Amino acid sequence: MSTGPYNQARQAVRDALAHRKPSHVPIDFGSTAVTGIHVSVVAALREYYGLEIRPVKICEPYQMLGLIEDDLAKAINIDTKAVFTPKTIFGFPLENWKPWQMPDGLEVLVPGDFNTTVDSNGDFLIYPQGDTSVPASGRMPKGGYFFDAIVRQPPINEEQLNWEDNTEEFQPISNQDLLAMRVAVDQASTTGRALVLSLPNMYLGDIALVPAPFLKHPKGIRDIAEWYMSLRARPDYIHKIFERETAVALTNLEKIHAAIGNNVEAVFTCGTDFGTQTSSFCSVQTFRTLWLPYYKAMNDWIHQHTTWRVLKHSCGAVEKFIDSFIEAGFDILNPVQCSATGMDPKLLKAKYGDRITFWGGGVDTQKTLPFGTPQEVHDQVLHRCEIFSRQGGFVFTTIHNVQARTPLKNFVALLDAVREFNGATNGRPEPTL
Amino acid sequence: MADLNQLYDAILNGDHKTAVTVTRQALTEGTAPIELITNYMSPAMDEVGRRFECEEYFVPELLLSGRAMKAALALLQPLLAASGAEPAGRIVIGTVKGDLHDIGKNLVASMLEGGGFEVHDLGADVAPEKFVGAVREHKPDLVCLSALLTVTMPGMRDVVEALKMAGLRDQVRVMVGGAPVTAEFANEIGADGYAENAGVAVTVARRLTRKNHAMDEAKG
Ligand code: B1M
Repeated sequence: MSTGPYNQARQAVRDALAHRKPSHVPIDFGSTAVTGIHVSVVAALREYYGLEIRPVKICEPYQMLGLIEDDLAKAINIDTKAVFTPKTIFGFPLENWKPWQMPDGLEVLVPGDFNTTVDSNGDFLIYPQGDTSVPASGRMPKGGYFFDAIVRQPPINEEQLNWEDNTEEFQPISNQDLLAMRVAVDQASTTGRALVLSLPNMYLGDIALVPAPFLKHPKGIRDIAEWYMSLRARPDYIHKIFERETAVALTNLEKIHAAIGNNVEAVFTCGTDFGTQTSSFCSVQTFRTLWLPYYKAMNDWIHQHTTWRVLKHSCGAVEKFIDSFIEAGFDILNPVQCSATGMDPKLLKAKYGDRITFWGGGVDTQKTLPFGTPQEVHDQVLHRCEIFSRQGGFVFTTIHNVQARTPLKNFVALLDAVREFNGATNGRPEPTL
Repeated sequence: MADLNQLYDAILNGDHKTAVTVTRQALTEGTAPIELITNYMSPAMDEVGRRFECEEYFVPELLLSGRAMKAALALLQPLLAASGAEPAGRIVIGTVKGDLHDIGKNLVASMLEGGGFEVHDLGADVAPEKFVGAVREHKPDLVCLSALLTVTMPGMRDVVEALKMAGLRDQVRVMVGGAPVTAEFANEIGADGYAENAGVAVTVARRLTRKNHAMDEAKG
């Protein structure tokens, strides 16, 4: 329930998104599949904050992100609340929880259709829509922390390639899923936190989804390298897929908005990565011809009919893409990978800070958070908050999901630093546990 | 007569069909495989690497060029083997255990092949024992390890240790790379080389595998 400092949560995010100075720097963990925390760290945090010890639910079975329940959200001052897509990346819903054991022995809860087998290597295999009678679509290496998609690409016959094969997943949203979304939004609204709704099938070529781990028998181009080559070698084929994806998305957006109204602060539509550590997957020019018109059509619809802000996730060195992201109608950039080439926090804030909200960039997860000292984490968090928080336009989160094996003391140092920053700026009180 | 400049262009432009057609014609006309590699294929891949470094080319272009080069190379390999020609060096490459990022590793493997190396690609999520087994089987000059995740970087040290335990460490060099990997880290785990991108990987591989070079001389 929204009591004490907590009822400021939703407003703080709204202010940040409107580029007004919020009462405090809002914090997000767990509102999307790209701002989550690995289940092992969620379990450790529950213990650290003295919360009831119980198996953590897996809310994203591909990266094995742990559900951040309201007690933990309150303990660590989270200002956001997730409304997930009706189905997970493996095509089953988050329901009928059952116990499962991680390779390191941690007991967790997984959805009922999270069905796994173990292969001769000792790897876990997981199945699309929970159907173990079809080939597995994901693999967790023995001793691993998360799954990866298994490419089930039959050999390509150039002459028989049909772009429609690549569009099986783009379907009108069912009434059942709409109802589920509506119920989830209504429930989430009671928390007093800002809602972030993840919307399915509006991403245009997210490489994690190209192999379609949710489909039983994916057809078309489903191999990662083949997909990347197609961007250059078969642009017409890609345009056709994007056209279909956009057309379906536009009708779905209308239905979703009719079901949930303006009751969410932000929508997460697209996790397609354009950046690598030092460069990008394509030129800005290619982005502008191959992607921008489709993103713009979807985002324009959203802006014309709703109050939702649209979150674009792209890892890596994307500084030179930001103007085009803004032109495409994205309001929010995540994860703001400051460790990648050209992603200097000061430069980003100065150049784009009044036009796009930085949702991330709070701490480096490649070096500082996993390998630094708590003091280094603390210092970097304060520094990033100082740079990014001026005049709103900033929601604090780490650069991408908090990974397994992140030292707990470093994560606690991060939380303490944000609290210190917020305390220093507005006297936001300590959370009541 | 086959226009061999077309082979260079086909690889540069990622046109595998033309690369195969020209190579086939050249072989029928009696052109020596080694000439095709040295004068056309390797220079084309060098240019691909250069364009990648200065952001004229991106991942799709590199993959297309790599595929064209491999398709042409496949026609030459049996002839090279029959003639006893030695590659620039033998390489075993893979992404370490628990890590499934393989886009960068694949590009590095392609560039190394383009640079005249014989490359055995073990894929992604490769356990230390597999690297050890592949070293025993292929007797490479160089083991190349890629990692993109901070949680899997320690797996590189595990491979170096496993090679030591198996008594093979003195027989191979180890090169590491991948987004979070640094030269410092390479040093720390006792690797012999580090490359920040696919183009540099070829240069470092050439340095590390230079024949008639005392093993310890190339260290560092
Ligand atoms: C031996 O000698 C050498 C020498 C040079 C070598 C070398 C070896 N290997 C590489 N090089 C060098 O040469 C290459 C060419 O110049 C270069 O290779 P790169 O691989 O760097 O460059 C490639 C050409 C293009 N770059 C890439 O392919 C990586 C790009 C980014 C966006 C990326 C991608 C595409 C993916 N990912 Co992932 N992914 C990210 C990446 C962001 C980033 N900043 O890099 C990174 C690496 N991912 C990350 C993570 C965490 C994950 N990813 C995951 C999944 C995926 C996808 C499946 C979606 C996809 C991979 C598809 C595939 N089959 O490879 C998950 C794990 C999967 C697994 N089990 O491994 C998951 C855990 C999911 C998650 N985000 O929580 C992050 C790691 C952070 C960390 N703390 O380690 C990450 C930095 C993103 C981020 N911003 O935080 C050089 O590094």
